[in-house]
Order: sequence, then C-alpha cells, then structure tokens
Amino acid sequence: MDRQVNTRASVLDQLMAAARGGDSAAYRQFLAEAAQRIRAMLTRKIGADSELEDLVQECLIAIHEKRHTLDPERPVAPWMYAIANYKLIDFWRRRGRSLVDLDDEADLAVPADTLAETDIETLLDQIPEAQAQAIRMTHIEGMTNREAGDRLGVGISAMKLRVHRGMTRLKEIAEEDKA
Amino acid sequence: MSDTDSLIDKLASSGAAPRGGSLLHFTTPLVAVGLICTLGAILFLEDAFASIDTHGFSPMIVKWGFSLAVLLLSAFALWAIGRPGRRSGGATRALAVPFALVAALVLLELLVGKFTFPGATWKQCLVAMAVMSPVAFIGAILAARWLAPTNLRRAGLAAGLFGGAVAMTAYSPFCPEHGMLYLAVFYCLPILAMAGLGWLLGPRLLRW
Repeated sequence: MDRQVNTRASVLDQLMAAARGGDSAAYRQFLAEAAQRIRAMLTRKIGADSELEDLVQECLIAIHEKRHTLDPERPVAPWMYAIANYKLIDFWRRRGRSLVDLDDEADLAVPADTLAETDIETLLDQIPEAQAQAIRMTHIEGMTNREAGDRLGVGISAMKLRVHRGMTRLKEIAEEDKA
Repeated sequence: MSDTDSLIDKLASSGAAPRGGSLLHFTTPLVAVGLICTLGAILFLEDAFASIDTHGFSPMIVKWGFSLAVLLLSAFALWAIGRPGRRSGGATRALAVPFALVAALVLLELLVGKFTFPGATWKQCLVAMAVMSPVAFIGAILAARWLAPTNLRRAGLAAGLFGGAVAMTAYSPFCPEHGMLYLAVFYCLPILAMAGLGWLLGPRLLRW
C-alpha cells in the first residue's frame, strides 16, 4: 500500500519533471491527473456541488499560472494540494457558506467565516504535529485513513483517532478565534 | 470534450516550462524600493554618518545590524510563505529574534541608567519612517504577488516588516540619535506598526 501511495505521488513528480523539460504531452497528462485528484479532494469537501467543476478549473489555472513557485527538488503533491486548498478557502469566502464540512462524518462543522482569511497551515501549526500530519494526509493530500496509516506505520484505528482528535482541536481553535 | 478538458488542452499548449528568473522577479521590486528609499534619503537629508564623529561606529553598527537582519529575515520569510506547500512557521518565528535582542538591550540600558530620550530629531525620524515604510511595503507586496502566498496575513506581516526595515536602513545613517531606547521607540515601533498594517491589509492586497 505504501508503495502504491508513493507511486501515485511520483507519477505527478515524473510528469512535472518531463513537462518542465518541454514535453507538452506530459504536461497535459499532468494537468489531467491533477484535475482528477483535485476533483476527488474537492468532492470530499464540498460534495457534488454545482460549482465543483468551476473550482477544479480555477485550481488548474492557478497551478499553471503559479508553476514557477514549485521547487523542482520538492514533491509536487503538497504544492498542488496547498494551491487547491487555498482556492477552496477562497471559494468559501466568496460564497459565504454558513458551514464548512471538514470531515466526511460531519462531526465537525466550522463556520466558513473563521477560515475565510486563514490558511489551513496556520491552524494546523497550532495542534500536535502527529494530528496535523494525519489531517494533512487525509484531508489535504486526499489519502484514505488506511493509506495514510500504512505510510506512517500505524493502524487504521490509530489514524482515525489522530484525525478525529486533530479535527476536534481545530474546531475548538476556530470557535475560540470567532469568540 | 468537457470544458475542463478544453482548458487542460489550452493550458498544456502554452507550455509547462516555468517563466524564468523566479528569484529575479521576486527580488527586483525589493531591490528597487531599497534604491528608491536610499536615493530619497540622500536627496532630501543631509549629513550622512555625521553621528560617527561624536558617537563612533557602534550605534551605526547596532542600527544597521538590526535593520538589515529584519530586512533579510523578512525577505526570506516572504519567499518561503509565497511558495505553497512549504512550512513557513520557522521563517516567520525567526522574525522575532532581532526584536527580542533589542528588547534585551533596552532592558540592559534601563538597568544601567545611561540613556538620553527622546533626543532632538525624533520627529524627523518618525516622518522618514512614515514616508519610506509604505513605499518599501509596496515593493514587498509586488514581490509577494509574483509568488503564491496561501497565508495572506502572514505574508502581509512579513511585507510590512520588510517595508519598515528598508526605511530604517535608508534613514539611520542620517540619524544622530543613539541609544537602545531610542531605537526601540522610534524604529522598532514604527516597523511593528507597518507590520500590523501589513497583517491587516494582506488578505486584500495579496489575494490571487
């Protein structure tokens, strides 16, 4: 499983490396792959929204326009998901939704206003690293609990617990900030 | 073919190679505002380094040591914050180090009891900081907009610190005052005020 996750990540890296070398077919493939992964991530967060495809396109344009900010020596996935996440927060800000579903199980609902001008990394900096890492992998990079657990070498239950505790703490921080 | 597929084709056709000279694009506005502020100070102020005759090199070394440290650290923080997916907490926290050192030296000066305050030229100092900081801040905002900051408040704060640090670097050779309390009140506070303004304005100025 760990190998599968690494392979998925390295596909993006390989495609981007080829694209940077001038291979436009590889770049097209990279964008198609990125679109697919970003769509999956956004679907988990906003569901089958009518604006989902618009948001995916916005992310692709941002990735293209800001491609010079990608360090060639660093993996593509965290960079790509950070941009997608930023665009998602911007989408919520524009839309002014009352609730943001941060988790599939919807045990946490953080008011969108609270996150509108806050980077998710700022929030994650405020919780224990293990929990932040768990949330980053499952909610930002789009891994399942099993994939993330395999990569970190912990069981799926432990992974779920880390995510749950982290999300609970994020909710508390968001509410404290709002108060 | 869906709209997204059409978009992908269009983006792919314009090429994947990143626009060159990323670092150059970032540093050009920073250097430009630094030069503008320096030239402005030279043109409008007199007696650069006059205080060295009376107080020696030490006050100048302290002033430039502080301002250049903030300038370089804030530029580096801006660079780190502007690159998505990178952790920038360390670079941001490092910005506090020069201020902590100044606070410690102010405390020491207060304990020793050797200080003159506020000095004769504090109004000129405040005016210079108030005029030059926003100019340099604009350069930092332009530099940050070339990148892709995802934490806009943090980026705005770093841009504000950069603005204030450039102003201090340009003006301090013309400043006859010395003493850590003076530095803390008439340099550090305006720099922090500019940083606060940057923190407030970041989400408006840096959205992309």
